[in-house]
Amino acid sequence: MSSPSLTLPSPAPAAARKRRLLEILGALAIAGTYIYLVLNQPADITGGPGSASALIALSGFLVGAVLLIVAVLPALPTSTVVLIPVALVLNIVLGQFVGSTLVPFYLDAIGTVLIAVLAGPAAGAATGALSSIVWSFFNPTVLPFAAGAALIGCLAGVAARHGLFRRFYLAPVAGFATGIIGGVVSAPVAAFVFGGTSGVATGAIVSAFRSMGDTLLAAITKQALISDPMDKAIVFTVVAVLVYALPRRATLQFLFVRWHRVLAGRNSGQDS
Amino acid sequence: MCWRAGIPDRTPDLLPMRLHPLTSLAAAGSTAVITTAAASLPLSLAVIGGALGLSAVGGTLRRLLPAAVAVLVPLCLSLLVLHGLFFPEGQIILAQWGPARVTAEGLSFALERVAQVSAAVLALLVFSFSVSVPDLVAALSVKGVQGRFAFVLASTLTLLPAITSRLERIRQAQEARGLVIRRGLLHRIAAFRLQAVPLVSALVEDAAVRGAALEARGFGGTGPRTSYRDVPDPVVERWLRILLVLAAAAAVAARLWLAGG
Repeated sequence: MSSPSLTLPSPAPAAARKRRLLEILGALAIAGTYIYLVLNQPADITGGPGSASALIALSGFLVGAVLLIVAVLPALPTSTVVLIPVALVLNIVLGQFVGSTLVPFYLDAIGTVLIAVLAGPAAGAATGALSSIVWSFFNPTVLPFAAGAALIGCLAGVAARHGLFRRFYLAPVAGFATGIIGGVVSAPVAAFVFGGTSGVATGAIVSAFRSMGDTLLAAITKQALISDPMDKAIVFTVVAVLVYALPRRATLQFLFVRWHRVLAGRNSGQDS
Repeated sequence: MCWRAGIPDRTPDLLPMRLHPLTSLAAAGSTAVITTAAASLPLSLAVIGGALGLSAVGGTLRRLLPAAVAVLVPLCLSLLVLHGLFFPEGQIILAQWGPARVTAEGLSFALERVAQVSAAVLALLVFSFSVSVPDLVAALSVKGVQGRFAFVLASTLTLLPAITSRLERIRQAQEARGLVIRRGLLHRIAAFRLQAVPLVSALVEDAAVRGAALEARGFGGTGPRTSYRDVPDPVVERWLRILLVLAAAAAVAARLWLAGG
């Protein structure tokens, strides 16, 4: 199913070049926004209406995420596109449930990481960004985190591509490292757009750092560095359990899994 | 995992005049952007009041409120505790308990942020709960947005209730096989695995079948599509959308100019 259509014309090289350009622009928009926010560290977060920084964070990250979706989505095989809504539902149902509990985790990336492991970094990035955009239909507070979610999907795909899901104990390690990067990228969004975190438990951790005199951005970054690596280590472990529990027939339908030998002992059916 | 509240449902036609979905989206988006750019407490409060009033008139308030509460209550509580009790930059101390200090600046900052975020969230929720998803999908396709994005959007919104009911069936089946969720983290993890593995396995299997069926019907094609759903788009609304987008862009530019100057 992931093979190209036999009846429809294959996409032209010009379209592929355009998509590549959009991918690069999207990544540059996200990286540029992050660098601007961290380098300038607008001092007005708590001093006044920090909405200029909020608008820069919102627009830069959103534009980047939308460019990534526009670049990646048309290139994905149908078998991956039909799985994206399933991943989104898993993200939303689990994320909304865990977010309302008093646990300082999110668990809102299980679907994204699942797609990344089965279909690769590009699919993971598109799923992450799409997840935030679709979820924002009934929880608009997740919209600004689209770029961070895309980054986590991309990094999960890279980890899978380099065999970190072949050994069960490596999956949480990869998740931990992904969480550090994801947390550092998401922290300015929480600080500039919301002036805090959206969960009660995560807010308590930020409060503890604020009581020690940290700036808001520093406190939220430290909170993210506590919550996110643990959260992603759990998410990667859960996804490893899930993909190994799936029937071989289900996982081997994905070219990425066969081509890069993503899962241990699952390549006897390699047909590429 | 039994979260069900707040799924935007198909909307009854209670609004006297039905707007094009993209006009509603432009109105909600520009309201959120302008409120954020203005950072003014009275404007934020006015938008909150307006959004709730519009939702009441449209007949969606009963469904919108639980979703808004689920999103906003943890966020507002978190902001109020965070800035209300710990705001090292605050000078006017109203009360103090050990390291926690209630400052006037902290409370004012928390209140402003709560109002600002609530206004943006409510404006967007009013759109989500009043828009007809099939109309939105058709309108996006007409405007040249890829069918794939529309598919992902529509499919997710319809899958959500289906998957929550499927999860319930899996839980019942596992309970019939003797699953008892006992206290303790390990028992809970085991119970989670017993429910999550069949759910994900079935969903991946379903997606494969759906993918084959869609591929056979030309889903992967890039040519023009014929839509059987016609969403009227009056000229007035097209101009209104342009105006709304320009107003949002002007608000952002003004805020950035003021911040720079």
